[in-house]
Amino acid sequence: MPMKSSSIRVKLIAAAVAAAALLAAWLWDGSPPESAAPVSAQTLQDQYLTSPAPPDRPKPIEPDPGAAPGEERSCTLSVRCDALLANLDRLDAEKRRLAPADGVIFPATEVTFYEGESVFDLLRREMRSAGIHMEFTSVPLYNSAYIEGINNFYEFDAGELSGWMYRVNGWFPNYGSSRYRLQSGDEVEWVYTCDLGDDVGGGWAAGRT
Amino acid sequence: MNRRGRETFSTYHPLVNMLYFALVFGCAMFFLHPVCLALSLSGAFGYALYLDGGKAVRFALLYMLPLLLLTALLNPAFNHEGETILLYMRDGNPLTLESILYGAAAAFMLITVIFWFNCYNAVMTSDKFVYLFGRLIPALSLVLSMALRFAPRFRDQIKVIANGQRGLGRDPGRGNLWRRARQGLRLLSILVAWALENAVETADSMKSRGYGLPGRSAFSIYRFDGRDRRALLFIALCGAYILRGAAAGGLRFTFFPALSGAGADPYSLSLFAVYGLLCFTPLFINGREEYRWKSFVSKI
Repeated sequence: MPMKSSSIRVKLIAAAVAAAALLAAWLWDGSPPESAAPVSAQTLQDQYLTSPAPPDRPKPIEPDPGAAPGEERSCTLSVRCDALLANLDRLDAEKRRLAPADGVIFPATEVTFYEGESVFDLLRREMRSAGIHMEFTSVPLYNSAYIEGINNFYEFDAGELSGWMYRVNGWFPNYGSSRYRLQSGDEVEWVYTCDLGDDVGGGWAAGRT
Repeated sequence: MNRRGRETFSTYHPLVNMLYFALVFGCAMFFLHPVCLALSLSGAFGYALYLDGGKAVRFALLYMLPLLLLTALLNPAFNHEGETILLYMRDGNPLTLESILYGAAAAFMLITVIFWFNCYNAVMTSDKFVYLFGRLIPALSLVLSMALRFAPRFRDQIKVIANGQRGLGRDPGRGNLWRRARQGLRLLSILVAWALENAVETADSMKSRGYGLPGRSAFSIYRFDGRDRRALLFIALCGAYILRGAAAGGLRFTFFPALSGAGADPYSLSLFAVYGLLCFTPLFINGREEYRWKSFVSKI
């Protein structure tokens, strides 16, 4: 009977699907594939995948949003996009008029911060009070904010290697700006790179030597 | 009054219908210019209204309006690009005018496409689809026409199964939660078994009738006459003009960092006019036909 044969076929198909699912579940135990990186390199990184900072540089701290603001201190902050000026042709036509001719979005200024604050806290407050657009997103993996765009210049706006980086006292930290605790007199610079840091002298912070 | 029986655009050749909808879908999905959005939405809504009357309005108010609000509100929650900062969110990201407007534009685009798809479903029946593509891509066109029938067919079948179960005294809507869940699962299992069996039988049946074999003809009632040729030419010319204009930047519009786009220059205006003409073509055709019918009746 045709009815019977097709229902047997359905059962066969269902059995095959179930067997395949069981096989897949048995083969895959839910753990990620094993990394090929040497164990020693992994143990040197902290829980936020950050390699140790050089001995003469500050170690990363973990941001504590509930902490009370400490004493007033001062440091310098600047935001520049010089590297972008050399790559204006890669920028959206509508965004070109936003680029300042001298590359200065926020000139080097003596600004106030409170003891215990991070570079990110400072940038957020100063950009807001200066009326400059700034967008960030919080990345739990690195326990830090990530600056997506300042002054409507976003990551990837000038090619896939472009985005914002920060430099403190001439050094590009290898951890996020929320984990860099400010010291009095620090010189904080935010710069736009079009080549993963190589064009601003911070290529090593992106994981290259 | 159900006017679908007298709808004229669906009596055109399937090729005309298909080309029209392909064009209108593509334009609705890629032109974010506010004028284009307004033209396409009013054309789609007007035609949906014409096709099934009050149902379109109810659908719009019940589902499309909340969807519009949700989409328009969701975008500024994740996107903070734009020059005009309105205020700051609690975490310190800015809320910008441009991101709100972009969300609204995307929402309008979404409901426009849904309305066009409503019209498409009413006009391009599956026999038309298989007629057009059955020779070209036999397997794919069958799968597509089956897939598009899937949801309504499942809905009908689940009603049949539920009635059958109720007749056996296993009412899926009665009893405590545990019992209802068990009955619901049983219903689903019956449905899936039925669907699998049905698919196999359909395939066997199509195969035994020689579907897709070379040299096999199929009955169709479609004729490509002068009326279709004129309509096809009109749609193709409109489409070519609009696509050429869009490629030349006559319809460009950007939301970031600030709103800007093609405006009131004569070329853009002509593009808008042609686009409007295209979006309202089915309504024009129907209006002309009704006018003719009425003038014939009054002459008798």
